[in-house]
Amino acid sequence: MQLKNGKSPTFRRIGAPLAAATCALLGQSAPREVAAQELMPWDIDTSLLIYSESDGRVRDTSLNARARKEIREEKFLDLTLAIDSLTGASPSGAVPASTVQTFTSPSGNSQYTVGAGAQALDTSFLDTRTALSANWEMPLTRLALLSVGASLSDEYDYTHTGLNARLARDFNNRNTTLSFGLALANDTISPVGGSPVPLAPLLGLGNQTNKRGDQSKDVTDLLFGVTQVLNRHTIVQLNYSLSQADGYLTDPYKLLSVVDPVTGNPVPGPAGSGLSRYLFERRPDTRDKQSLYGLVKRDFNGDVLEASYRYMTDDWGVDSHTVELRYRWSFGSGRYLQPHVRFYQQTAADFYRTVLFNGAPLPTYATADHRLGEFDGLTLGVKYGRATARGGEWSTRVEYYTQTGNPAPGSAVGALANFDLYPDLNALIAQFSYKFGRR
Amino acid sequence: MASPCEVHVAEPDRALAERVVATAAAEAARIEAKFSRYRRGNVVDAINSARGRTIVVDEETARLLDYAHELNELSDGKFDVTSGALRRVWRFDGGDRVPSRDAVEQVLATVGWHRARWRSPELTLLPGMEIDLGGIGKEYAVDRAAALVRPLSARCLLNFGGDLLALGPQQHDRPWRVGVESVSGDAAAAKQIDLGVGALATSGDARRYLQKDGKRYGHILDPATGWPVVDAPRSVTVAAPTCTQAGMLATLALLRGRDAEAFLDAEGVQYWALR
Repeated sequence: MQLKNGKSPTFRRIGAPLAAATCALLGQSAPREVAAQELMPWDIDTSLLIYSESDGRVRDTSLNARARKEIREEKFLDLTLAIDSLTGASPSGAVPASTVQTFTSPSGNSQYTVGAGAQALDTSFLDTRTALSANWEMPLTRLALLSVGASLSDEYDYTHTGLNARLARDFNNRNTTLSFGLALANDTISPVGGSPVPLAPLLGLGNQTNKRGDQSKDVTDLLFGVTQVLNRHTIVQLNYSLSQADGYLTDPYKLLSVVDPVTGNPVPGPAGSGLSRYLFERRPDTRDKQSLYGLVKRDFNGDVLEASYRYMTDDWGVDSHTVELRYRWSFGSGRYLQPHVRFYQQTAADFYRTVLFNGAPLPTYATADHRLGEFDGLTLGVKYGRATARGGEWSTRVEYYTQTGNPAPGSAVGALANFDLYPDLNALIAQFSYKFGRR
Repeated sequence: MASPCEVHVAEPDRALAERVVATAAAEAARIEAKFSRYRRGNVVDAINSARGRTIVVDEETARLLDYAHELNELSDGKFDVTSGALRRVWRFDGGDRVPSRDAVEQVLATVGWHRARWRSPELTLLPGMEIDLGGIGKEYAVDRAAALVRPLSARCLLNFGGDLLALGPQQHDRPWRVGVESVSGDAAAAKQIDLGVGALATSGDARRYLQKDGKRYGHILDPATGWPVVDAPRSVTVAAPTCTQAGMLATLALLRGRDAEAFLDAEGVQYWALR
């Protein structure tokens, strides 16, 4: 639109007589309504997410932005940026003990202690992660859509690069969509102080002789999906995905306590280290996962119910079930309230151990990472959204997550029976989002 | 209608969708047959070949002529259904054949609604004068077709060569997405508009113009001078409840030349002008 310069001429307004004349031409039933709105060149989504675990454990503050633009007709460019800041303390995997425990930090330059009976948290946990992605979406034919993208993320001890492609085609009067996706990732892990030799003991201050260089892993994901419109109000979706990871899958910062099989007390570590015996964990070099996901989405006169179920199984022995329900309750002028419930349950990995027993032969693989243990998780939340006059939306989401798990069977020997070997985890999630643009 | 006509229907019932398309297509064909100046034997042909005789027109034609008369008044003579005669000397084919002043003056003697005698239902033109309802016809066809389709209660969008009307959004919260053609010849739409209900009409010279000595002559002719209106936007799109209203506002704006936007601002209508 042109900026006017100089003074605007004055015109006889003709709107009313023109409307009357048009009415005379078309008849009295001529419509009187118009709703048109120009689309903004970009769609922008922004959000701030805060995830905070209780007892001063992990806290993540995440800023996300997404921009989408129609560059050519029906060809879209999508860009995302995410910045995460992680602070707090993360469980090291070691179990509580009746005495004070001392640990060497990953860098080997410092040590920290954990009080008697307390959960071993590594307080040197601090990270900032920056992630970028770009995606290009274009129709291949009238019914087929191709999207290709690349992603990159960087944090001080981890670099990710990825490529992905997705092909979707409509069938059956566009009531059925089949999609196929492929994603390849190559990640480099450069742990602080080097990557520990698997199942090697934690050494004393300044001794990094059991640390090695950078590690890497490759991940291939395949996805097959069917989306079916059942009727004007209902769609269902079914996805099958296959994921194969290859390379360094171990967590370089996680430990296992080695305890006396009778007393449950720590045993002395390497001579002269002054530490008890803790071993770095070791996971297999490959992991194959399969998952099946089903979703039903139904519209009830503007309210939307979404119910989904996911089953995941892998060759590490982890099987999980996720059931999720959302109901979007619209109450006029673009406002809605959306309660959310998610229930998650998983079995432990075959090599999950809460502790290792002194004198017993070392297993090939072992981890005490609670995330590979048996646990249940429950998320309860609610989201409130409100449309802005220009077609954008504000929303706020608050969720509470609680997780309860079990130690590996037979772990609570001797003194360990007095401790909580799988402490509950509670977390609060708050998200503020603002979207604007062409929607 | 010398341009593609489309009907988009967002209904799962195929029979209903077909009824909508058939109804709209039949009405478009009827109006084209009746009012096209390229057809022999229709009412426009009868008027244009009357050579000074008085023609008695039917009720629908009379309403269109009343409308043309009203628009001529509202535009201070700038909107004129008799200005089509100027096309005998102006051929907007993208070339550089600008007519001579004499040639334009000569044709101008047969242009001007004030020279016609319109006493509904009787129309008398001077010999050599002719009318062209093409400036109203396409938009009128959209509104007429919409009136016939409306009782079928289908969510649909009628698009007759870029003049369009939506009878409700595609879905509850999903309007029709309409691209306004760019004036630079770029394949990408210059603007995108979400249309829930109502009409959008575009007037412009994106493809119909002459260019000579670096000067561009758009196809909107000023019947007072016989020459193209200068400094008009290349394209004006207006949103209004009816396609006819939208189209007339867009055309009247272009006839204002450099003041097109000021005119539309004063009218308080929603518009998109490209220069």
